[in-house]
Amino acid sequence: MPVEFKDYYKTLNVPREASNEDIKKAFRKLARQYHPDVAKDKKAAEEKFKEINEAYEVLGDPENRKKYDELGSNWRDGTDFQPPPGWQQGRARGAPFSEGSFEFRFDGTGFSDFFEQFFGRSGRFDGFSGFDHRQEYGDGEAGFARRGSDLESDILVTLEEASKGSVRVLTLRRTNRKTGQARTQTIKVKIPSGVIDGQIIRVPGMGNEGIGGGAPGDLYLRIRFAAHPDFRVRGADLYYSLDLAPWEAVLGTRVVISTLQDRVSVKIPPGANNGQQLRVRGRGLVNGQSGEKGDLFVVINIVVPEKVTEEERELWNSLSRVSHFNPRNS
Amino acid sequence: MKEPGNVKEESTQELQPVEHSMRAVYTIEAIADLAQVPRRLIILYCKHGLVVPASKLPDSGWYFDDRAIHAVRRIENLRNACGMNLMGIKLMMDLMKEVERLREEVRFFHRQ
Repeated sequence: MPVEFKDYYKTLNVPREASNEDIKKAFRKLARQYHPDVAKDKKAAEEKFKEINEAYEVLGDPENRKKYDELGSNWRDGTDFQPPPGWQQGRARGAPFSEGSFEFRFDGTGFSDFFEQFFGRSGRFDGFSGFDHRQEYGDGEAGFARRGSDLESDILVTLEEASKGSVRVLTLRRTNRKTGQARTQTIKVKIPSGVIDGQIIRVPGMGNEGIGGGAPGDLYLRIRFAAHPDFRVRGADLYYSLDLAPWEAVLGTRVVISTLQDRVSVKIPPGANNGQQLRVRGRGLVNGQSGEKGDLFVVINIVVPEKVTEEERELWNSLSRVSHFNPRNS
Repeated sequence: MKEPGNVKEESTQELQPVEHSMRAVYTIEAIADLAQVPRRLIILYCKHGLVVPASKLPDSGWYFDDRAIHAVRRIENLRNACGMNLMGIKLMMDLMKEVERLREEVRFFHRQ
């Protein structure tokens, strides 16, 4: 099944030779602009945000980026894409979900077919979903009922959705390969507040049809958090990288940080070191399974000015003369 | 993707899950029924640590959640589609879990 090629460099508006740092910056800038929570036209912004997120999932990970670059640079955005030889077997997994005689296609998960096919998580462990050897070989049709096989898919969820909960509309289209008959089902799935990345939501009975009157399989949706311009996530904890000037780190300061819920004033103690983590309790995500609230970790990132004035240089010079500090001898 | 020329049947099914889904627990009989796997096999999977009950109360027996149903279904697929035995399945599931964990770590650090 051909899928539409996605030009992720174009989506992030960066040249193909952009550095990882450039890609990260481009993502942050666009993600802030199009984040569904801040944009005026929410619907349009949401679509754009999903595209940006998908592009960053691929280009922001060196391994995925290499794989993407190998797919070829000659493809134009939006054209039907056929992978080069060697991709069909082994690496790519065929259609997003191809099972014996059926082809499955999801809409509304937040990922394009192109992404699902080459970079999706659900395709990584081929053989767990959407494949049933009994159907392939024709057994199971000898008169006894068999349960239909399951389907798995990733679903993109923003951190805000995860903390507030939301209802998502998915369409699942099943096409019978032999007859070409298609059936489209619209499913409303409630994303409960407190979901965490990697969590599975079971949608009963939305998998493949059973054989000989057997029950249908289930659909398993795996929560995948959208990258956030400000926070990184680990479990229910959030990590915020706080840029500090060298003197702020040495002397200590107070900084106001916008969390997902509110704004908190964080006191940076004197002598804060690069990479040091300060914990703001209870400002993370809610872990719905344990009911506990995660924390927000502020990670210190000391930034050195690239250009200094004559006066500043003189001050640094006098500092270097009077200071006994030697970072290589402590 | 090409639109198939044949009959297109539309059906809309609205589900109102999932509130139950995160904390809902099922008895072993219920998950045996939902996953269409015999009870004795689920007990066997639990003994091998392939499926972990959500709670194990001394008086009232084992209770399972949706994660357990997912695990049972995965095991069934590995057994049927890949022809693996319990040792192989255990190894495979542990590796998958480990790979997922490492991928998450890699993603976390790449975004630093």
